[in-house]
Amino acid sequence: MREIASFEFELTRNITIGQYLPTGSLIHRMDPRIKLLAFTILVIAMAICDTYVGNIIALAFACYLFYMSRIPISYGLSGVKPAVPFILILAVLQLLFYSEIASGGTVFVDYGFILITSDSVRLVIVSALRFIEIIFLSSVLTLSTSTTQITHGIESLLRPLKHVKFPVHEFALIITIAIRFVPTFAMEMEKMMKAQASRGAEFGTGAWWRIIQRTKDVFPIIIPLFNVAMARAEDLVLAMESRCYTPGSERSIYTKYKAQNMDYMALLFCVLFTVLLLAFPFPY
Amino acid sequence: MERGLTTRKIVIAGVLGAVAILLGVTRLGFIPVPTAAGNATIMHVPAIIGGVMQGPFVGLVIGLIFGVSSFLDATIPLFKDPLVAILPRLFIGVTAYLSYISLRRINEYAAIGVAGFVGAFTNTLLVLTMAVIRGYIAPGVAVTIAVTNGIPEAIVSVIITLAVVVAWKKLDHSGNKKSKISGEM
Repeated sequence: MREIASFEFELTRNITIGQYLPTGSLIHRMDPRIKLLAFTILVIAMAICDTYVGNIIALAFACYLFYMSRIPISYGLSGVKPAVPFILILAVLQLLFYSEIASGGTVFVDYGFILITSDSVRLVIVSALRFIEIIFLSSVLTLSTSTTQITHGIESLLRPLKHVKFPVHEFALIITIAIRFVPTFAMEMEKMMKAQASRGAEFGTGAWWRIIQRTKDVFPIIIPLFNVAMARAEDLVLAMESRCYTPGSERSIYTKYKAQNMDYMALLFCVLFTVLLLAFPFPY
Repeated sequence: MERGLTTRKIVIAGVLGAVAILLGVTRLGFIPVPTAAGNATIMHVPAIIGGVMQGPFVGLVIGLIFGVSSFLDATIPLFKDPLVAILPRLFIGVTAYLSYISLRRINEYAAIGVAGFVGAFTNTLLVLTMAVIRGYIAPGVAVTIAVTNGIPEAIVSVIITLAVVVAWKKLDHSGNKKSKISGEM
């Protein structure tokens, strides 16, 4: 029988949600609304940009953000590391079987069904770069902004949608509840896994090709997890309603954000950067 | 069902969103199927359950939370594209809800099961279509993934949706009382 390492049951250790590194840098002190807006603009820019030079500039910029926020770049790299095998496998697959769509450009190899062109090489390299850029960018955002700031930021950014009857406050509350309950459920799940294991259940110990067996192993955890979640939800509903929570009524806010000139400049810079990235005719 | 947002809808959307995030970050929400798209997933099941129990808006919000968390957490370049990771996921809960209410009159349990299937199918179909449109995988590969990942996903999704929704509907009798203000389901 395979020895089960104790860390397999410590789910809470893997959860990086809400991980926040207070270094007090310029980026940390940015208005969360502006920061979210800038983040969205940059992600869209990176998702669309498909030139070599553009993506290298974007990657350099993402690295510079780590320096600026005084967050060690190892935090970003730790997000990239587990993905390396996937990137490589996908790159090979894209290179070999992609000829149907990216068939333009110079043909490098044309052997039977294998057709490698400059377009398909570009596709592979650009999508790998794009992936690293976005991981870096989202690590900077989550490491420099607390979850409270993020939810407040989302709430005030979406406020204009109130005019079209979109329930902005409720939406922000949903996100807050979701983030709040992740560690709670992780602990519940740990308890359930230990309880099942002490009764002889095995998790993830079956051979990898026995897909059906391994899938069946998960049911005794997943279904109770949902049931625990639903029971918790009902408790919370009862607690909120006994305190007279009424959806849709007007509420005042404890924290008010005021954007500084610095914030607007940062936003302006991001917009200009995006325009440059998308509109400038890079030679490669 | 009541119109508008009740406290219960808000809370259930939040709690199931938490489950979706948790299944992703702990890797428990993955079924190990060796294909190009990585593992099959059951992370869309919270969105289906939310849609079936509390209507399309709740399903949509949970789908959004699932999409955003899979986008932020992705280890495959395919899902680092918001158009693939987030947009298709919004529809999971909605289609599940629609198939549930259209079949509810015939047979409650069958309706829940079908909703589980339709929701999972929506996820597979839309994500792969988006992936092909955005140029991450070739159409031929997409069909293979639809078979190897989509079928196990759909089966697992039907089982879990049935088990959870039926258990929730019976919660009243097991000693746990539900709040009555938000109205009966």
